[in-house]
This record gives sequence, structure tokens and C-alpha cells, in this order.
Amino acid sequence: MKVVFRTLSKYGVAATVAILLMLVELAVELIQPMLISKIIDDGIAPKNVEVVLLWGGVLVGGTILAFAAGILSSFYAAHVSQGVGYDIRESLYGKIQAYSYAVFNRFAASSLITRLTNDVTQVQDTTFMGLRFMLRVPLVVIGSIVMALIVHPGLGFLLLLTVPILVLFILWVVKKAAVLFSRVQLRLDAVNGVMQENLSGMRLIRAFVRREREAERFALRSGELMQSSTSAQRLTEITQPFIVLIMNAGIIAVLWFGQLEIHVGSASTGEVVAVVNYSLRTAGALSALSMLVAAFSRARASARRIDEALVTENGSGDGGASSPVNTDERVSEGSVAFENVTFHYPDTEEPVLKDISFRAGTGDTVAILGATGSGKSSLMQLILRLYEEDGGTIFIDGRDAREWNIRALHGSIGYVPQEVVLFTGTIRDNIAWGAPGASEEQIIEAAKSAQIHETIIQLPQGYDTMLGQRGVNLSGGQKQRISIARALVRKPAILLLDDSTSALDVRTEAALLRALSGMACTTFLITQKISSTLNADLILLLDDGRLIAQGDHGELLAQDPLYRRIYESQFGEEGSHAEGAK
Amino acid sequence: MRKALSEPLRYPRPEGLTGEQGISLSKRPKQKARNWKATLRRIWNYLSRRKGKLALVLLMVLLSSGLSLLGPYMIGVAIDRYLAGPGGEPWALFLAGLAAVYVLGSIAGWLQNIWMIGIAQETVYRMRMDLFKQLHRLPIPFFAKRQRGELMSRMTNDMDNVSSTLNSSAIQIFSSVLTLVGTVVVMLLLSPLLTVLTFLVVPLMSSGMKWITRRTGVLFKERQRNIGDLNGYIEETLSGQRIVKAFSQEERVIREFGERNARIRQSGFWAQSISGFIPKLMNGLNNLSYAVIVGVGGYLAIRGTITVGVIVVFVEYARQFTRPLNDLANQWNTLLSAIAGAERVFEILDEDEEDQDEGEAGPVEAVTGEVEFTQVGFSYNEGEPTLQNISFKARPGETIAIIGPTGAGKTSLIQLLSRFYEADSGSIAVDGRDIRTIRRESLRSHMAFVLQDTFLFEGTIRDNIRYGKPGATDEQVVEAAKLANAHSFIARLPGGYDKVLHGDGSGISQGQKQLLAIARAILADPAILVLDEATSSIDTVTEIKIQEGLQRLMQGRTSFVIAHRLNTIRRADQILVLKDGRLAERGSHDELLAKGGLYSAMHQSYGQAD
Repeated sequence: MKVVFRTLSKYGVAATVAILLMLVELAVELIQPMLISKIIDDGIAPKNVEVVLLWGGVLVGGTILAFAAGILSSFYAAHVSQGVGYDIRESLYGKIQAYSYAVFNRFAASSLITRLTNDVTQVQDTTFMGLRFMLRVPLVVIGSIVMALIVHPGLGFLLLLTVPILVLFILWVVKKAAVLFSRVQLRLDAVNGVMQENLSGMRLIRAFVRREREAERFALRSGELMQSSTSAQRLTEITQPFIVLIMNAGIIAVLWFGQLEIHVGSASTGEVVAVVNYSLRTAGALSALSMLVAAFSRARASARRIDEALVTENGSGDGGASSPVNTDERVSEGSVAFENVTFHYPDTEEPVLKDISFRAGTGDTVAILGATGSGKSSLMQLILRLYEEDGGTIFIDGRDAREWNIRALHGSIGYVPQEVVLFTGTIRDNIAWGAPGASEEQIIEAAKSAQIHETIIQLPQGYDTMLGQRGVNLSGGQKQRISIARALVRKPAILLLDDSTSALDVRTEAALLRALSGMACTTFLITQKISSTLNADLILLLDDGRLIAQGDHGELLAQDPLYRRIYESQFGEEGSHAEGAK
Repeated sequence: MRKALSEPLRYPRPEGLTGEQGISLSKRPKQKARNWKATLRRIWNYLSRRKGKLALVLLMVLLSSGLSLLGPYMIGVAIDRYLAGPGGEPWALFLAGLAAVYVLGSIAGWLQNIWMIGIAQETVYRMRMDLFKQLHRLPIPFFAKRQRGELMSRMTNDMDNVSSTLNSSAIQIFSSVLTLVGTVVVMLLLSPLLTVLTFLVVPLMSSGMKWITRRTGVLFKERQRNIGDLNGYIEETLSGQRIVKAFSQEERVIREFGERNARIRQSGFWAQSISGFIPKLMNGLNNLSYAVIVGVGGYLAIRGTITVGVIVVFVEYARQFTRPLNDLANQWNTLLSAIAGAERVFEILDEDEEDQDEGEAGPVEAVTGEVEFTQVGFSYNEGEPTLQNISFKARPGETIAIIGPTGAGKTSLIQLLSRFYEADSGSIAVDGRDIRTIRRESLRSHMAFVLQDTFLFEGTIRDNIRYGKPGATDEQVVEAAKLANAHSFIARLPGGYDKVLHGDGSGISQGQKQLLAIARAILADPAILVLDEATSSIDTVTEIKIQEGLQRLMQGRTSFVIAHRLNTIRRADQILVLKDGRLAERGSHDELLAKGGLYSAMHQSYGQAD
């Protein structure tokens, strides 16, 4: 709840106004029973019509005042709650963007999404309710009791007696409900998780005819959710009948003792009626409590989940959005050196890279080759600083990578991931994503280098063609090339291609590599194809996390048996032909 | 300070605030009303499946409403007879009666809630399931057109709204109607004049409500749309977080997020403010009727027409019939967004399904794997043909390689074969039978796919391999993994086959994912095998090893292979060369090479690139 209160305090003035306006309404309502007792005792009993009309007029005036206050308070309460929701979303999203990639991955993306959406909405709605009703309930209760004590201390005391019982009971329910509702939220996460997975894997599920099984799985999760929601809500529903029952016991006591007092002459009928009226009001206010308790418990669970995400350390190695931007700083040479670098992922024990050392000079093309799972992508992630090495040092432009401003570093790197991620928007937007200020010429130039320009201009809307969630109407290879163009438009000093040409046909790939070789950047290229390594300045051959050989094509072919095997596997009898062509 | 005070009063005013849109809607009330009514009726259809339990709830609502009428009445009697008057039958007995009324009322109230929660949760469960099943019936193009986050929002946010409203509001509608009727009857019996005066507020209330709802309807829709938009954005950027980070675009996404966030704040502010008028209106009218009853009642009491007890009863009744309405009004927010939410949920349920190919389409039992395309044409968007006039025939057990430049339509061809999309013209036949006459699921159960985007589910490695054949034994799983050359890396993972894979950060490489996908296909043991760039991320050494397994796998099955690697292509029985959506050449490696056309040119360029 800390965050909520801290955010709320920002809206202190508006919240105070909302509460003050609500107090005006409340005062008008609380004074009503007292006026009734006046009308009964001073008006009806002595048959004085003027007194009745006077107090009746006061009641009408109060009504108008309360209504005006209420309408105005609506604006202030809405402002506070929308503002709180806005601020929490803003800081939560900012925080998530500031996480290092390792920390980000510790949360499931779907869980962060629920926190940003459902949980924030929950908190926001509860804040609104809180400003208008939640505070109102205790205030009505306290106000009623105080007024009852003023009207008749003895009878008012009976009303006071019920309070400790109710407070203890409510505290118990709130505590218990919080546990139950956080379980509800967990299970809701699970349901949403299955849903999301089904949406992403829809084709595969259909291809494997697994609809029934997925439905079973979903039924299981939703069944669990139903169960825990039911028990959580049932708990809160005990509250209302119980509270009303206790209050009603109080009313009976007031009636019983009130009658005795009237008979001995120490109370008037009007006073007893007023106290009964206050009791009824208290009961009425409390009956809305179960709803409030439920909302409050849910909001508390939500607030806790938001807190959890907000207090998580950003993680080292990647300052993300929080680190300062230094636009002057840029990688100029693009040289990269690894010295005895060792690395393992946070969630595993076995290192994926062991004792890696190599040196890539300015403008070099470095091909990384190796078996599946040998650590090729991990090596790239280290250059990108998505993760930080455990041992050894990485030098970029001769400077320890840890000393680089992360944003300056990223600003000089073009990265093309293995899996294509495109965003909703036009092709132009997606390419310009890499360099927001890019001019039309720069975008087209990047697209040309990425061998996608011709394809784009053949589309009816050209660069303005909209791409869906995953660029659905384009083929895998076309999406890959847009993703390459996005990296090239940055004019990077270091270009990282994580097996990004796998979906390209040989001719397109060759053209792409030709275009890249004309660019003045150090290029790292994860590849499976010897054809791409032939012209590389440096080939790194990885096996099971170790760098087993490095050198250019000729050196490796002469020295390394594994490289030779790979070479032969791809060229076989063709090999000699290719050699000859060279 | 001054800014903080005036800020809430200076939000830009949205269009919906004039009520103009609302008015124009009410000019054609049928359409608007039908939507709401239809939505409510459909919710009722869900609820009514538990008629027995609903009847019990109704009974309890009747009981508790009746008892809640009796309580205040008895207090009125107590005041007149025992407090102001001389007394009658034993006072203690009377109070015991009142206590009984209270206790019974509480029990009835408790039971109705307990039961209603059960019904509501079951209803939501069923709606969720329907929605989920519907998703699996929707045609693939539907998903291509929608943002995933927006769909998610419907299934989570909107569903939640429906759920929370059903619990509370459904009962309150019942009980407020009942209490209202009961109160009116008793009030009329006690004092017709005061009753009429009390109900003077009703027209005020209804016109006030009309003013408000005319605006809130529009405003809430606007807000809901903005929320969907924001959620979509969140989904997209968090799923693509790696790109955001690598390109250092944090500030930019934060800014774009902020713009959407601000839109929500604005529309949310107005929706909430205006709908917040409702309880205030109710309260005000409540207070007004209170003043009228006490003033006029006091005057009448002096004239001796009514007693003090009657005033007290009236005051309490007036509050009691507005209280349920008041509660309802307090939840008007949720109610409105719930109906809007339900509408959005039903919208998906109403989407055109993939024709369920019941009727003329039937299952197929065994398939030999003969596939024939006859003059097939297809386009994603009208006027831009993706495939044109494709004809070929694959005999059972043949391996068909599909090659061509990117965008030539290779993947589309596969999508047609699996009926993810339907051909616009021509026909596709499996074993001589038009696939449109074969149930999709039946058709696909004879195929196995290794698709371009490898997708693994959250679960253990074992479960993922077993995905295509849930009944497979552990030995069969290991067998398939060995054939796919995945066994050795799995064995080295902590947890081995029981290692749980999570979405993005699962710690296995893309190539390893492909190996698992291949193992999955091997285990599925289909008549027709589709490999769409199945080995693109696998290194060559590993590929040679799998090649053996794949060869064995392809033996006796019709296999469609989309690949760029020459050695894969060379072994194919037929090579289909696609260019710009047309079948440019067809034949075996040697035939095509001899022909000296496109294929031999491509082959040549491969050599040159080397």
C-alpha cells in the first residue's frame, strides 16, 4: 500500500477537498435525526406548527447544500483516482523499462502485464470508492454515535458498546480476505497465462489438433479460479449479515432501556426515536461494508503486487531508462575484445560461456559458428549488455564495457534478433524505430541495404503498409529483412546479426552480405552457413560454451578438424567447385 | 495550491459530455436498446441454467425483503404503543418478536448471497470456457487482423468486470424491486398522502438519471476503448522487451505509453465524475424526501391524522427503498463497464467461425498421403494474389521440396494444405478427396508440422515433445528425442526431460527449440509431414545428425520441405520452384538442372555465393 499512499499524497489538496465536501454532506445527514427529535418533542408534542415548519425548512436547505457539495466532490474524487491510476501506471511502466533484462525475465511478461492493467485498475477504482464511500462508512458510524451520545448519553452508550465487537470482527475479515484475494489474483494470472499462450501458439495448437487438451487445461485453471473466488467472496459476504445482526441487537437494547427511561421520565420520546434513528443509520452504513471490505482486500492484494514490482532492484549492468543520456559519447572504432569471459544465466548453474578470449578490430566481420546451444546467442547478449559477465572483461573501443554509458553503447549498436519482433505500425515506423529522427532517404537507404526496398515498394501502400502484431501479411524472410533494416538505419558502429538470415534464400542473403561488407561497422554474424564465413576476418568456433578455434577460413580449414567437418558437410563434392570458383 | 484546487475543474471536455451523441442515439432508440437488451438477455441465458438454485435465491430475497419491511414497521408500533403510548401485551415478548425478525432476516440475507456467488462464479466460468472454445473455432485470419493485447483485454479485463457485477448487482436488482413494491404497499396503507409526497421525488430522479446515463454510456465506451488500446501497447512492448532494450528505446516507449495513459486519465475522469453524480443525486433526493416526510408528517401529526410512529416508519421506509437503488447506483460504474465488457465478449462469440465443416465434411480414417493441387489460387488481400494457378501432385511417400525467393508464397502454400486459410480457387485433394470435405481437425491429425516460428508451451520438455501425441510413453518420448538429436542436450539440462520451459527466458537456444519441435513431429507419426524452415537455426553438424533421423522420418510419408539448403533439396523427389506466387518449375534435381532454367540459375548462384 506504500506506493498508493505515496502517490495519493501528491493529490493531497484535491483529496482533502473531496473529503471536506463529503463531510458537508455527512453533517447534513447526521443532523437529521436530531432535528426529528426536536420536531417531535418541541413541535408535535406541544402542537406547535411553526416549530415543525422551521425545522422542516432547515432540512430542505441542508439538502440543497449537501447536493451541491456532492456534485463538486465527484470531480475532485475522480481527479484524485484517475491521477493516482495514471501516476502508478506511469511509474510502474517506467520502472519496468528500467529493469535490467535479467530482472525483467525474472517476472513473467504476462505477470507484469496483469500488474500494469488489472492491478492498477483495481487500486484506482478503490481509491475513487475510498474517497466517496469508504471513509464515509466509519464517519457515519462515529458521527452517529457521537450525535446519539449528545442526544441522550445513556442510550448512546448502548450504541457505543457494539463498536468494539464490530471493529474486531471487521479486522479479522479484512486480514483473512486479503490472503484469499491474493490467491484469487494468482489464479487469475494462471488463467490469463494459459489464454495468452493459446493466443500465441494458436497455429501450432491447431496443427497438432490439441484443442480439446487445451480446453481441459483451461477448464482446470478457470475451475481453480472459480473455486477461490467463490470462497473469497463468501467470506466477505458473512460480514454484512453479521454486522447488521449486531447493530439490530443494539437497537433492541435501545428500545428496551429507552422505554424504561421514558417511564422514569429521564428521556423523551423524541430522544429515543432519534437514538433509534442513529442506530438504523449506523446499521445501514455498515451494510455497505462487505462490499467495501471485498474491494479493499482486493485492492490491497493488487497494491502489494504493484509494490513488489516497484521495489525490485533494477539490476546491475543495465541502467536502462534511469541512466543519463550522454549524446556526445559514442562508440567510434567499434573494436570488441573479450578477455577470459565466463557467463551463466541467473536461473541456471552451468556456465554457458567459459573463458572466452578474442579480439575484433574496427570494421572486421566476425562469424560465430557452433553447434546448437553452444553459446553463440549468449555471447551476443553480453556485447549488448543485456546480461553481465561473471568473470573476465569485455572491451569495447578498448574500454571496459562496464564503464560505458549503457545508452551510449546501445546507441552505437545495431541488433537483429533471431526471432523477429515487429511492432504495430507502418513499415516506415518499424524501420525508423531504430533511429526515431531518421529521414525518408535514410530509411530507404537502410531498406535497400537490407534487400527489402524492392519488396516494399511493390506493396500497394509501400512504406505506409500497416504491420499487425507480428507483421502477419509478410513472409518470415521479409519480416527478417525489415528487422535488419531497423538495425541498419542506426548506422551502427557494431552490428549484431543473430542468425538473422536464416529465412533468406541464398541469393538474397549473398546480396545482403555484399551490402553489409560495404558498411563501416564491425559486424558479428551468427551463422550456420560456411558460405557466410568464407569472407569473414575472424571466425569463432564455439562448442559447449568454449571457444575451440579462431582464425580466418583458410586457417581454420587447415587447423581445425570440426571446422573441416562442417565445411565438408555443406559442400561435400561441391566444396572443390566452390573453392575453384573462388 | 491554487492549481491543485482548480485542476479537477479544468479537464478538457470530451464530445460525449454534451449528451448530443446520447440524444441522437435515443432518436433511434431501437438499435441502442436492442444492444443492451440483447446483452442482458444473453447474460440471463447463462444464469438461467441454474434455475433451481436461482429459485432458492429468489425465495430468500423474498423472505429477507419481507423481513426488512417488517422490522421498521415493528419499531413504529413500538414507539406508538410502548414509548409514546400506554403499552399493551408484554414488552419483552414484543422485543423478542423483533429479535426473531432480525435474526431470520440476517440468515436469509446470508444464504441468498452465498448461493448467488456460486451461481455467478459458475456463470463466469462458463462464459470463459465458451470464449476460450470460440477462440479455437475462429479462423486463423481473424488473429492476423487483431492485436493480441486487445484480445487479451477482452478476455481478462472485460470478463472480470462481468464477474464482479454479477455477484452483487444481480441480487440487488431483485431485492430492490421487491422492497420497492412492498414498501409502497405498506406506505399506502399507513398514509396515502405521505406516500404520494414521498414519491414526488421519483420523476426528479428519473430525469436526473436520464441526463447522467445519456452521457456516461458514451464516456464509458470511450474509456473502455482507451484501456484496450493501452493494454495492447503494454502487451506488445513487454513481449518485445529485448528489442526495446537493445535499441535503447525505453524513453520512447515510456513517452508513447504516457500519451495513451493520459488519454485514459481524461476519458476516465469524465466517465467517473459524471457517473459519480448518481449516488449524489440519490442522496440528495433521499434527503429531500426525508425533509418532506418530517415536515408534512409533523404537521399531520399535530392535526392528529397520523402518529409519531408512522413518521418514523416512513422515514425508515423512504431510506430503505432508496438504499438498494443507492447501492446499485454506487455500482453503476461497474454495471456500465460490465455491460460494455459483456458486449465486447459477446462480440467475439459472434465472430464468424471457421465453417465448422459439419454436414457434408466428414473425418478421414487412414491417409496414404497423396496430395494434389489443381489450379489453386489464393490471396490474403483482394487484388493482390499470393498464389496463382498452382498444380502438382505428390504421390504417397514422396518428398517435395518447395523453394523460391522470400515472399514467393512457400509458407502460404503450406497454410492452404493445412486449411489455416482456404484457397480462393482451384482445389486441393488428399487421397483424391477434396480437403474442403474433410474436417479440419481430422485432416490435421494426419499431418505434423515443424513451423518457422518454433513455439513451445509452458511446461516440461517431456510435455512439449508429447504435445502431438498425448498418450505417448516416456520411452517413446526419449526415442523421438534421440531421433531428433535432442536427447544429448536434454540429458545435460538440470532436470532433464522434466525441466520446465517458460516463455522468453527459458535458457535454451533457438536451435534447441527447433530440435524439440522436430522431436514433437517425429512422435506425432503423421502420414503427411510439413517442415517449414525446420532446420534453419540448427548448425550444420547437428543437422547432419538429424538428417538421418529426418530421412527415417520422411520414409513412407509424404513430406513437404521448405528449405534453403541444397543438400536437403537435392534429395527431394520433386522440387517446386515458386516465383511471385506462380509455380515456375517442377521436377527432380537432375531434371531441373538439365533444364537450365530458374533452378539451375539459383543453384549456380549458390555456388558463386560460396
